[in-house]
Amino acid sequence: MRFVGESVTRVEDRRILTGRGHYIDDVRLPGMLHAAFLRSPFAHARITRMDTTEARNLPGVVAVLTGADIEAVTVPIQVMPQFPDFNSPVYQAMATDRVRFVGDPVAIVVAQSRYVAEDALELINVEYDPMRPVVSFEDAQDPNCPRIFDDIEGNVLYRSNSTHGDVDAAFAAADTVIHETFRQSRQANVPMETRGAVADFDPGSGDLTYYAATQSPQGCRFQLATYLNHPIDRVRVLSGDVGGGFGLKGPVHREDISLAAASRIVGRPIKWIEDRNEHLQASGHARDEQIEVEAAVTSDGRLLGLKARLLIDQGAFPCLPYAAVLFPNMIRDLLPGPYRFGAMSFEGLVLATNKCWNPPYRGPWEIETWVRERLMDVIAHRLGMDPADIRRANMFDGDEEDRSITGQHLAGITSRQSLERALDLAGYSAIRAAQELARREERLLGVGFATFLEAAPGPKENRVIPEDARVRLESNGHLLVMTPQGPHGQGHETTLAQIAADAMGLPLDHVRVVHGDTRQTPMNLIGTGGSRASTWASGSVMVTTRKVREKALGVAAAMMEIDASDLDIVDGMVVPAGAPSKAMPLSAIAMTAYLAPETLPPGTDHHLEAQETFTGDGVGGSGWSGGTHLCVVEIDRETGRVEIVRYVVVEDCGQIINPAIVEGQIRGGVAQGIAGVLYEKAAYDAEGQFLAGTFMDYLLPTATEIPSIEIDHLESVPVEGLDIRGVGEGGALVAPAALTNAIEDALVPLGVTINEQYLPPSRIMELTRMVPA
Amino acid sequence: MNRHPVHVKINGVDRDGYVEARKTLVDFIREDLELTGTHVGCEHGVCGACTVLVDGQAVRSCLMFAVQAEGCEIRTIEGMAGPDGELHPLQAAFRDNHSFQCGFCTPGFMMTAASLLEEGPLSEDALRHELSGNLCRCTGYQSIVAGVMDAFERVSDSTGEGGR
Repeated sequence: MRFVGESVTRVEDRRILTGRGHYIDDVRLPGMLHAAFLRSPFAHARITRMDTTEARNLPGVVAVLTGADIEAVTVPIQVMPQFPDFNSPVYQAMATDRVRFVGDPVAIVVAQSRYVAEDALELINVEYDPMRPVVSFEDAQDPNCPRIFDDIEGNVLYRSNSTHGDVDAAFAAADTVIHETFRQSRQANVPMETRGAVADFDPGSGDLTYYAATQSPQGCRFQLATYLNHPIDRVRVLSGDVGGGFGLKGPVHREDISLAAASRIVGRPIKWIEDRNEHLQASGHARDEQIEVEAAVTSDGRLLGLKARLLIDQGAFPCLPYAAVLFPNMIRDLLPGPYRFGAMSFEGLVLATNKCWNPPYRGPWEIETWVRERLMDVIAHRLGMDPADIRRANMFDGDEEDRSITGQHLAGITSRQSLERALDLAGYSAIRAAQELARREERLLGVGFATFLEAAPGPKENRVIPEDARVRLESNGHLLVMTPQGPHGQGHETTLAQIAADAMGLPLDHVRVVHGDTRQTPMNLIGTGGSRASTWASGSVMVTTRKVREKALGVAAAMMEIDASDLDIVDGMVVPAGAPSKAMPLSAIAMTAYLAPETLPPGTDHHLEAQETFTGDGVGGSGWSGGTHLCVVEIDRETGRVEIVRYVVVEDCGQIINPAIVEGQIRGGVAQGIAGVLYEKAAYDAEGQFLAGTFMDYLLPTATEIPSIEIDHLESVPVEGLDIRGVGEGGALVAPAALTNAIEDALVPLGVTINEQYLPPSRIMELTRMVPA
Repeated sequence: MNRHPVHVKINGVDRDGYVEARKTLVDFIREDLELTGTHVGCEHGVCGACTVLVDGQAVRSCLMFAVQAEGCEIRTIEGMAGPDGELHPLQAAFRDNHSFQCGFCTPGFMMTAASLLEEGPLSEDALRHELSGNLCRCTGYQSIVAGVMDAFERVSDSTGEGGR
């Protein structure tokens, strides 16, 4: 390994640093028009009348298409109808007779410029008959509330029930039962680049080329073909640089289908770039969830059992193709985390409300970590124990037979090591001493920590969705690596090149990673998401490159008349063992294979290209990413400001490909986790009106709010093969728990229990009773 | 709608345009002048992605009309590297400190930082304050702060290069 493990300079950097990136809004095609969507101002209403005449007559307007126009040329959407027990409603790409959230698209204007398209929006007259909106958890479970979808009874779209172990026995044996309801607020992915696309239907060829800002080019192609009823061989998705996504750009959005349909109707390329207001209100929200939990514990701090009831407010439409119905069972499986207890009952509901839909957001199952780690601290505080000791008393060691109550095989986990390392690095006892001093001065100093596990890729028995790569040795001896991934900041062009360069024996700049052209890359619906890149994409590039190496060595062996097993590839040279002077450049081998294959002995495989599937075979290690984050805060009683004094991360993501990229992923995730606690809320009022439509309302943290984050790695060196694990989601998963634990710890003298995640200064002031609640 | 002539000098090159009065400076730069390195992140002056230098001052080009830039000197991210392609110390420092991930906010940070470089080094706290007008969703800011701090050092180590 020469490049894996090094913070090599990113391949992507030069174009980005010089202003020559290729983001979606940089696409410009001849004859291109511009689109803007008219959106519903009501949470729930019937459309009684729509008049587009005036808009159509505005000079520069090419078309005004309503929901009905789009409905006529597309297939109704139904997400995951095969998912057991999921009441999956059928819905349209744009609203037709009824709007279901503030921001629901009702018309699309196509015009010569975006300025004109937005002018025309003002000229469309829509009359609405408002209906009672379904806004809260209570509304959604109330059978007297209006149905959001006529084809679904009620607004509970999914209910999952399960029992693991003997729950009654566990609660009967308990000394104490602790009962809390932990509530999160709506947050959003909010990449700095909003959604956008250019749809280019060519009436001559019938080809639809869709320039997308997507995390999954092949997934986008598949869904467009499906919902436009367009032959998939005539749908091509092209994706360049993507300005962030965090899950939001994995789904295919209703606007994507509408835009592509509009291009097919108009017969010209159309660009749509969402503005920030649309983005905040209509692109996607997440984390609108709560878990009511009862914990059976002994007086010495052993957890015996849990009862958990999860509610997810998924908004109006199930997200395409990742409906929130996917999350309850993931949350259930991961809720026990690294802790040993013998019984759990679980109920999980997915509720429809008149709000924006719920795409995946960086660790979509995050509430399992937050609630579990919050609960451990609540138990500790109730029993008068140290939060570290309660974890030590219940944590698995990662032994071969270790298995959580929900069946997760936890052999090899390093939770305990990460906990002890974090406490040690932070100087835990010194922090406690400082806290004692602070409390004497009536200062609110707190320390909190939390431990997470992420199945990235998960233990061997869980691995289900394989991934392919395609690799070609070009005639100049350089390697082309084609991946179905849709990178959006993670630096795949660098990390996958590091893997391939090492696997082939090439200089780094002899490897070119290609993504974002569905005519070149293998099929894979997921793309970049679920921390799959470092595990599945890396694995597929490794096994495929090995195959190409074997083929190249076969050709070299024939040319050099040396057995392939006596050949190695070093820095792009094919080197015979013990005879370095007879080395040949790989380019000479490749040139012969391409231009003069007839000179090779009969039967020589001269095709220097391969597509292989990575199934997880040959992966060492536990499969579990994880770690412990520790946070120290001081709370200003006068202002309610929470200052993060220190933030320490101990992370285990197996073997590290590129430390700088890994640390960037961790810090970015932590920043989003902190933001969800202290700054960000996608708020609605009681009528379902959206309240956070600008960056003055939806507060992204800045450089003054996110602290320096200290990172330590528990890196394991694989015995053989590779042990690379995902790292993209861990920071966002665990930071809310570490921070809210620290906040509660600071407020212990005031007897405060934190059971909500969103804690802006105004709420802290209420909790500290500086202002009335 | 009436159009108005606009003349600017952008990255040292004289350019003319003919635009509606309502056209924002960033749209003029991206669409009319075809310099797409400057990005649009919020169109309400909060995120800073569209930051460019107008007569040496960092401004949000989404909050300014193109016609207001009449006669001004503008510098964008495309004007940072030398004519031979040599990276500006800020660009090199951003690269070496992994100061960005998706890169969408980077041009804005770069231009904000470019204006700070003119004024000389800052403490980390002061720098964080100065950078708080630009939003990044990927990095958690630490690597950006490190990149700009590094650039301050590079510029003070090789005077003459940084003033470019």
